[in-house]
Amino acid sequence: MILNLERFRAQAQPRWKDLESLLSALESRPDRRLDSAEAEQLQQLYAQASADLNRVTHGALAPDLRQYLERLVARAYAELHYTPPTRSQLWQPRRWLRIFTAFPESFRRQSRYFAMAALVTISGCTLGALAVRYDPASVDVLLPANYLRNPGERVHEEEQGQARHSNSAQIEAEFSAQLIRHNIQVALLAAALGVTFGIGTALLLFENGVLLGAVAVRYTQQGFGLFMSAWLLPHGVFEIPSILIAGQAGFYLARLLLHRREDRNVRDSMREWLILVAGLAMMLVWAGFMEAFFSQHHAPVLPYGFKVGVGLAELVLLTLYLLLIGRTESARVTRSGLATENG
Amino acid sequence: MTITQSTRAATTSELTIATSEGVLFRLPLAGPAPRLYAMLLDIVIVLGTVNGIGLLVYWVFAKAPGFGVMVITLAEFAIGFAYSALLEGYWNGQTIGKRLFHLRVIDQDGLPLRIEQAWVRNLMRVFDALPFAYLVGGISVLSSPLMQRFGDRVAGTLVTRQTPLSLPDEEFWTRQKYNSFTEYPTIAMQLRRAATPELAALIQDALRRRNELATYARREIYRELAAYLQSEICPFPDELIERLSDEQYLMNASSILFADRGAIASSKIGDLGQG
Repeated sequence: MILNLERFRAQAQPRWKDLESLLSALESRPDRRLDSAEAEQLQQLYAQASADLNRVTHGALAPDLRQYLERLVARAYAELHYTPPTRSQLWQPRRWLRIFTAFPESFRRQSRYFAMAALVTISGCTLGALAVRYDPASVDVLLPANYLRNPGERVHEEEQGQARHSNSAQIEAEFSAQLIRHNIQVALLAAALGVTFGIGTALLLFENGVLLGAVAVRYTQQGFGLFMSAWLLPHGVFEIPSILIAGQAGFYLARLLLHRREDRNVRDSMREWLILVAGLAMMLVWAGFMEAFFSQHHAPVLPYGFKVGVGLAELVLLTLYLLLIGRTESARVTRSGLATENG
Repeated sequence: MTITQSTRAATTSELTIATSEGVLFRLPLAGPAPRLYAMLLDIVIVLGTVNGIGLLVYWVFAKAPGFGVMVITLAEFAIGFAYSALLEGYWNGQTIGKRLFHLRVIDQDGLPLRIEQAWVRNLMRVFDALPFAYLVGGISVLSSPLMQRFGDRVAGTLVTRQTPLSLPDEEFWTRQKYNSFTEYPTIAMQLRRAATPELAALIQDALRRRNELATYARREIYRELAAYLQSEICPFPDELIERLSDEQYLMNASSILFADRGAIASSKIGDLGQG
């Protein structure tokens, strides 16, 4: 049926205008809440506009009008089918604190990907360590920086450098920010490389592992094992696990993308990835501060035994946090979460 | 236009959504160029903000410049990610740059974007920006039917063009009202008989895509089509042709072709069909 556009417009234009003004009103509200009368009105106007669009599409040649109606229907469709966050969800700082319990919960839920990340890193470590141990020639390839190749000089410099660096909190502050930024960037990349089906993540972790293993063996070989533990442990016990968690997030993402069609709740899965990333970013902030303000002080100012002790204490606390926090609460949180969503 | 099982279908320039109510609508997708401009504008805004904050921080930390640098470095890093994610999340898929360039990020099912999606697509920038100048993201956009960069693919979002549209003006309605071809029913019937389905589809398509064609291309295509119709198929008298633009000629022809028989027949007794 060919439309009589003139007559059609006379009938329909008022309701298009109504729909337009209702949509503008809705879209300007941050929480986009509808009361029941508005919802009914929206539903009705949407149905009418859809019918009008169908008539224009099939019964007239009016590209401008069709485009206009398509836009209108698209906007109404979006409003009708979208569950907006409630006002309380938009601004609720207490919910943000939930990240501290949500992070270890997500970590434990996806622990098999953590195991994968750890496995890849450990195999890298083993390769690096074996290479340096049995093939001294490989040192030049594996450890490009001179200070890594010749720990003696570095240790000497660091221990002598005490005097120069004393009272240099300013420089340390700057240094910490750079560390935090760099580390978070690398970790985020590892998590994002999940889109390469996890291959990129695995390569990054493996490379990291090789370097770690090679450095550890090199320093120990030359008799600086204690220095190195004292130097690396206070921040390393947060830095290395956070890179592993980045790997975990990356593998999790890879799995998510591979099974996207079966995944019924993509939204929750994405949230899980975000929680892991947010958690590891928090860990790296702590690690950055430790590395700049604590790790760089050596004997005699700080005895190595003390530094190693601090590192181990941190490791124990981190482990307890990741394994225990939130577990007892999880049932309660789920219930109250449901309650708020219903209410 | 084909509709896939997932009720989404895309050509290079639009996404077609078929709703459960059986309505079909198209959303125009944004190409890489406007997205790049919008991003550059956003970068300028972020840098401006960060530098503004920087001046303030230097003033506050005048006695401890190292801590000032620390605060700024971290703030710059955080703002760089949070700016797009928060604005897109809470401002219906638009940053300031996107708003000025009439772009909007939406869910790929045509719904508004959710906050998690905004964060995911913006955190994924670290990958899309590899190895420099968003090369990975750019290739992804050009090779994806939905023009998605990897961040969009992961988050399930896409960027649409949102040029403001208002109801067509008065001229549009008067142009639609009256079809002068119906004054010549014999020639009009000749047009209906001689036109192949392919030709009819071609005319309809040319008209439908009016706004997607560049002005010069549109003029050229319409001129050729109208000239072909006039010389080969339906020679309407010159005094009528002189009054019509090529576009109007095609619209008339098209409404003759797609009208039911009655519309033309009835025009003989003066009751004009429209079109």
